[in-house]
Order: sequence, then C-alpha cells, then structure tokens
Amino acid sequence: MFSRRVKGVIRKAPLYGVLTLFTLFSLLPLIWAFSSSFKPTERAMADVTSFSLKAFLPVPFTLRAYSALFKAGFGRSIWVTFIVSLSTMALGIIVCSLAGFAFAKIHFPFKNALFILVLISFLIPFEAIAIPLYLVAERLGILNTLYALVLPGIANGLVIFLFRQFFMGIPNELLEAAFVDGASWIKIYSKIVMPLSKPALVSGSLFLFVFQWEAFMWPLIAVHERDLRVIQVALAYLRTQYFVAWDQVFAGVVISAIVPLVLIFPLQSYYIRAITLTGLKE
Amino acid sequence: MEPIPRKHWIGTPLCLRGWQRNIESKKRKYNGAREIFVGLQNYISLVNDAIFLNSLKVTLVLNLFINPIQIAMALLLALLLNSNTLSIRVFRTLIMIPIGISLAIASVIWGFALNPHAGLVNSMLSLFGIPHQPFLTSSTQALWCVILIATWKGLAYWMVIFLAGLQEIPEQLYEAAIIDGANSWQCFWGITLPLLKRVLLFVLVADTTANFLLFVPIFVLTRGGPQMSTNVLMHESYSRAFVYSDMNSALTIVTVILVILLSIIGIQFKLLKASE
Repeated sequence: MFSRRVKGVIRKAPLYGVLTLFTLFSLLPLIWAFSSSFKPTERAMADVTSFSLKAFLPVPFTLRAYSALFKAGFGRSIWVTFIVSLSTMALGIIVCSLAGFAFAKIHFPFKNALFILVLISFLIPFEAIAIPLYLVAERLGILNTLYALVLPGIANGLVIFLFRQFFMGIPNELLEAAFVDGASWIKIYSKIVMPLSKPALVSGSLFLFVFQWEAFMWPLIAVHERDLRVIQVALAYLRTQYFVAWDQVFAGVVISAIVPLVLIFPLQSYYIRAITLTGLKE
Repeated sequence: MEPIPRKHWIGTPLCLRGWQRNIESKKRKYNGAREIFVGLQNYISLVNDAIFLNSLKVTLVLNLFINPIQIAMALLLALLLNSNTLSIRVFRTLIMIPIGISLAIASVIWGFALNPHAGLVNSMLSLFGIPHQPFLTSSTQALWCVILIATWKGLAYWMVIFLAGLQEIPEQLYEAAIIDGANSWQCFWGITLPLLKRVLLFVLVADTTANFLLFVPIFVLTRGGPQMSTNVLMHESYSRAFVYSDMNSALTIVTVILVILLSIIGIQFKLLKASE
C-alpha cells in the first residue's frame, strides 16, 4: 500500500514539476509587482539588482506609493473607470438580453443574416474597428465624453450569443401558456424569461464589466482629456512619466488588477462559461 | 470624490451633438480641402511604402511564431490539467489568474521585469550564470518579448477553452481504447485530437485574429521600436491616424489587415476541412 503510493508520487513527479513551472511563470511577475508596490522604490530596486527572495515579499511595508498615487489624481481614473464599466454593464445587459431573446424565441425577417453579423462581431476583436469607429464618434460629436466610452461597449456580440443560448433552453410551452393568458412579449421577457436566467445574467454582467474595465485601445483614442482617462490608459502614461517611481506604477497596477480578480475569483465558473461558450457551440 | 464635469457626461443631448457636428464638417469642407474619390491610389502608394512593407513583414513573422507557440502550450497545459483531483484543481486556479489581468497591466509589469539594468528577469537569469540581456531595447529580442507577454496573458485563456473541449470527450472512449491496448500517445492522436478538432479550429481562428490585431504591448512598451522591429500593422495604422494625422492611409492599412485576416481564416478552415 505504502510503496504503491510512493510509486504514484514518483510517477506524477514530472507532471507536478511542469505544472509548478507554469504556475511560477504565471504568478511570479504578479507577486513581484504586488510586493514592490508596498515598499520604497530604492528597496524594491535593490532587492532585484542583488537578487534575493525578498523581491517577492512586501518588507519593509509602507503605503507611501498608494498615497502619492492618489495625491497625483489617480483616484479620478478609478472613478471614471467604475462609472464607465458599471453603466456599460447595466445598459449592456438590457440591450443584449433583449436581442438574445429575439434571436432565441421570435421569428422575424433577416434573422439569420443578423445573427451572423452578431457572430462576426465577436470573432473580430474591437481593435479592428477602433480607427473607423473614431471617425463615427467624431461625426456624432461624442469624442471626449463618457458617451464615447460607454456606447460602443453596450451591444456585445458575445453577451447576445450567451443570452440566446440560454434562452433557447427555456421550453416554448412555458411561453405559449403565458401567451394564451394574454401576456405580451415584454411581459413574457420580464416576468418569465429573465427571472429564470440568473446564471446567464451573472455571466453576462461579469463579462461586460471586465471587458470595459480592461479596454485599452478605444479609451486611448476616444478621449484626450486627462479628466476622462480610464485606469488602463492612465497606467500606461504613468509608466512613461514616472519611469523611476516604480512603487507608484506598481500600486496602480495592483489597484487596477484587484477589481476584476475580486469579481472573477468567486464567480469563476460563470466567467469561464462566457469564455468557453464561444468555442463549443455552433 | 469630485464629480465628473457635466460637459463630459450630458453636455448637449446626443442627437443635437451629431447635428452640430455635421454642420461644422460641412462648413469645413467648403473652406478647406475636400475629400475626393481616388480609386486605388491609397493602396498603390502603400505598395511602394518601405515602412508599411516592414510592418507587414513584422506582423507576419510575429504571427508565424506566436500562434503555434500559444496553441501548442495551451493544449499541453489543458491536457496536463484535465483531471479533477484536488492538487490539479489548485494548479488550475493558480495558472488561470492571468486571465483576470488586462493586457495593458501585463505589459506594464513585464516592462519592468524585462528592464535590462534592474529587471527581475535578468537578475533571475544571472542566478543561472546567464549574462544580462537587452530584451526590449534590442531590435532582435524585442519581438520575442512581445510574444512572451502576449503568451503570458493568453495562455490560460486558450487553455480554458481547450479544457472545456476535453471535458466533453466521453471517458468510455479512453477506457475502451486502453482495454484494446492503446498507450496514452495513441489515445491522444486517435481520440483526443480528432474529437477536439472543432475547438482547435475555433482557437486557431480566434487566436490568429487576436494576435493579428495585437496592439497594447507594443503601444505601452516599444511604440514600434527599436528600429521598427516591433512595428506591427496595427501600431503603424494607429500612428498614421493619430500621430501623423493621415487618416486615409491609416484606414487603408486597417482594410489591408482585415483582408489578410479573412484570407488566413479562410485557408485555416479549408485546411482543417481537408484533413477531415
């Protein structure tokens, strides 16, 4: 019995070895950034140049970088990013679930052609349309406003698809029964379909929020004013401005990474559902 | 927290803004230069444009390496993590953490880690007696650093999709094959790969599109340099549009990117169909 267990461990040693290497590759940069944000820059640099494991520990601990960052106005970027992400999420859920409902349950002309457009829209990354979209936003006169940041993110092909797939699973008999009782489409959507769709709602909201929180190229070109810089863009500028003030840049990194991680971590399975759905379903 | 100024949020209502703008742009057209139809002129001038040709080359080279590397590594990782024991679940959770880190943040962190003088990577390499490398400041290594950063962020993402595909393959198939005396290598080629074909095709297409439009690490870290060695098409079109204010040329490049992309995707579909 004992020797069999030992054999099992030995046989699995290469597997665990490779996985440990992958884990270190994934985590060491993050642990290093996290620890460095809590110490004075000189110490962070010294721990790296004469390398010791202290590079991965937040000692001596100080919050100086964080207070300096907020004094420099970084709080504003956090605020803007929250507003943009939350309003995209709220509006996006309404628009995408309604669209998903129509694609799943209602017959209308050109349904298939429109659905193919939705599929294409999430197969082609946002970067591809960023420059043409800039011209549209310019014509609309919404450059340098929150409109420009929020509006293009609302109708998200992947979230529409996610809702459609979920709604397809709701039996038609349920809706027909409500029809017979004289309920309207909007009533069926809001009173029957949506209350049954909490998992899709969580996946969709999470995806929309994280998508906006992490957006980079569009916020970079749609907004020039410092007042409206989202976190991701503010960090890229911070890096070029304070190339020496490591600790502050790392503090910014920690703040902007922590929000999606805190949301995704407990809701992992919902987020993964949104990612994997695209690869598995027709 | 101070509120966001009204002009950014509501300002003039949306429809009015558009109307105002149209009047302004009409006025501008009568005063200054007018847009005229030039046929294929924009494309013809690109053919003789050394900067464009270089960034076309850089984009193709990048994709030639990054896509196979990412897909092979993600598939390997998914195969290793395809079991539900406690230890594997812990590894899976830890390895998946970069999914939650944006590419911009990943670029900022790796930018510091790859600093040639006081970077984490160089000091860890020196533990193994490897001399300091120039990384992002060298025209031969910078593109590889971009590949490293994009792979760090993308690996777990594609792994998750492969993993979901692997878990849809029925366990009984493997059991039957093992009874017939197949080893794990034969199981992989005979069962896993054929049944994973659709997922593989999706990852191939989605990964190629993502990397063809790769922009963030290049903008954050190298701005196309050193010596244009990381100047991918997306970055070139960005700088034409917003640094040199040559919108027409930028849009021409975007169109070229999309045409190349669609043809690559078409070829990939054909190849995978043919091998069926």
